[in-house]
Amino acid sequence: MANGYFTKGLPSTLSAPAFVDKWRLRALIAGVVFSAIAVILAFLGEMQNGLGWLHLLRGWLEGFVACFGFCFGAMALLFVQYLSGGKWGLIVRRPLEAMTRTWPLIVLMFLPVGFFGASEGRLYIWAKYADWKDALAKGLITHDQAHAIQWKQPMLNVGNFWWVSLVCMGIFAMYCILLNKWSLKRDADPEPNVAYWRTRFENLSGFGVVLFAALLFVLVIYWVMSIDPTWYSTIYGFQYLVGEPFMVLPLAILTLLGLKKAEPIRSTFRTIEQHDLGKLCFALVMLNIYFAFGAFIIIWSGNSPEEIPWFLDRIRGGWGVIATLDVIFHWLIPFSLLLSRDLKRIPRKMAMACYVMIFAGFWDLFWLIEPSFKDAARNLQLTWGIFEYAAMPAAMFCFWLVYYFGQLKTRPLIATNDPHLAEILEHDYVHA
Amino acid sequence: MPLPEGLYGLMAEFDSPSELVRAAKAARTAGYRRLDCYTPYPVEEAAEAIGFHRDEVSLVTLVGGLLGLAAMFGLETWIAVWAFPLNIAGRPYFSWPAFVVPAYEWTILWAGLSACFGMLALNGLPKPYHPVFNAPNFRDGATTNKFFLCLESTDPKFDAAETRGFLEAQSPVSVVEVEY
Repeated sequence: MANGYFTKGLPSTLSAPAFVDKWRLRALIAGVVFSAIAVILAFLGEMQNGLGWLHLLRGWLEGFVACFGFCFGAMALLFVQYLSGGKWGLIVRRPLEAMTRTWPLIVLMFLPVGFFGASEGRLYIWAKYADWKDALAKGLITHDQAHAIQWKQPMLNVGNFWWVSLVCMGIFAMYCILLNKWSLKRDADPEPNVAYWRTRFENLSGFGVVLFAALLFVLVIYWVMSIDPTWYSTIYGFQYLVGEPFMVLPLAILTLLGLKKAEPIRSTFRTIEQHDLGKLCFALVMLNIYFAFGAFIIIWSGNSPEEIPWFLDRIRGGWGVIATLDVIFHWLIPFSLLLSRDLKRIPRKMAMACYVMIFAGFWDLFWLIEPSFKDAARNLQLTWGIFEYAAMPAAMFCFWLVYYFGQLKTRPLIATNDPHLAEILEHDYVHA
Repeated sequence: MPLPEGLYGLMAEFDSPSELVRAAKAARTAGYRRLDCYTPYPVEEAAEAIGFHRDEVSLVTLVGGLLGLAAMFGLETWIAVWAFPLNIAGRPYFSWPAFVVPAYEWTILWAGLSACFGMLALNGLPKPYHPVFNAPNFRDGATTNKFFLCLESTDPKFDAAETRGFLEAQSPVSVVEVEY
């Protein structure tokens, strides 16, 4: 209901305000500090138990999976908002596009995982003990592990690891490039051509979202699930499919809340959209616990010796504390906060919920990754190395943020050729 | 109790929610406190404009949900541990993971029912008679495409002539008197 009397008109400036540079600087400093801490921790860990650099690599894997999620999870959310339509999609579109444009950094971050993790076999035992007969004879791996490595070799081998990872990321990068290119073209179009652009983006997104879900499943099998090659789960990929927007959407909201201090976001990011985005976060919180608890209860009910050790590895020997806190951070706190209607509409409190959700995402990755290694399964040791899981991902996330904020400045913050534009320019109370 | 007689209030009719919200805000600013908005669908901003901030439905829903959770979890625990203990694949009697799903379902069910009936009760429904239906234009448009603001005569600031003047200044479609 675009009504001239109530419309505010497009803000005079659409580019990101100058204080984004300050954000970049802060992220850069934090990144450097965390990197230094990570290196110090690695030396300390090496002296303590000889696992220091290995823990740094594991922390790197967590940081990589998280940053991958921020970049390509944003791509998935872009697909979703093009397919579903709605005002919320217009307001988060440019921040999400900025996130997707960080894909070159993600490919760079993958290289150490590929080189040290797979090629040198420091993360994946199927790479380290590809000669499973020999390793079994020397007692380096158990019979179960040897069996799994033998039968999964057609999929789990170093060559496949490299080309599958790079091809999948290449395909995603192509989607990111197209989404970004067309979005600019759409704005430059002198005519609105609503139907044309909508169809075009829908066709790209419709297939893209299916392809992304399928390929993401393959990637997380290679990157995370295969650390313990004896275990498998058919819901594993879906947990990441929800886990990524679970971190991306709060980050997009935090970006908008930060940008709200100045134009153009001040007059376009209204309480209504903030409320809508909060509701979507709430839905993600529920879907996430649904998958996580669903996986748990199915395996718990089955009680099969092939599946249940995965959970026992993550509950016994001190890991129960981490698992319980995971439920609290991932579900209880955001659920309780986002349940309230008022809280979703108050910027400061909404921001708090968003911080908790992003933190929970990192915490969950820690719980998923570290117990997969036999030295840590059912045996949580508070060594220096464990803190790599805080320092290394934090450093990588900060550097990723530097890139992201830089990208945020390269484009207008509002896409102008969109039928929803008139709506977000109205005052808060005339949406009905 | 004798039935009230006379003027219930003055009701202005608007064509759009924006005009209604604007008029309601003006009325509130002018000092009117006993007033109400009537819209064919929920307009949250109208509720806010007349100073309606909180309601207890969310509290009723929360209490209902927690009661549902406690009831089902308690029932399952009682059955599995005391009333009819069964050895199921060697698991402990108090196998809480299995209790979560029904307990969760009951949380939703009770919360939903509490929200629905709590809302009706707190709204004072069902209400077989309300004076605003005496206005013919209200009967015609209130549930389809018209938006109404009613300033009630019990308001200390209410004055038939002055209030009519105020409402007419808000450029409504019409202003009608509503009898009890």
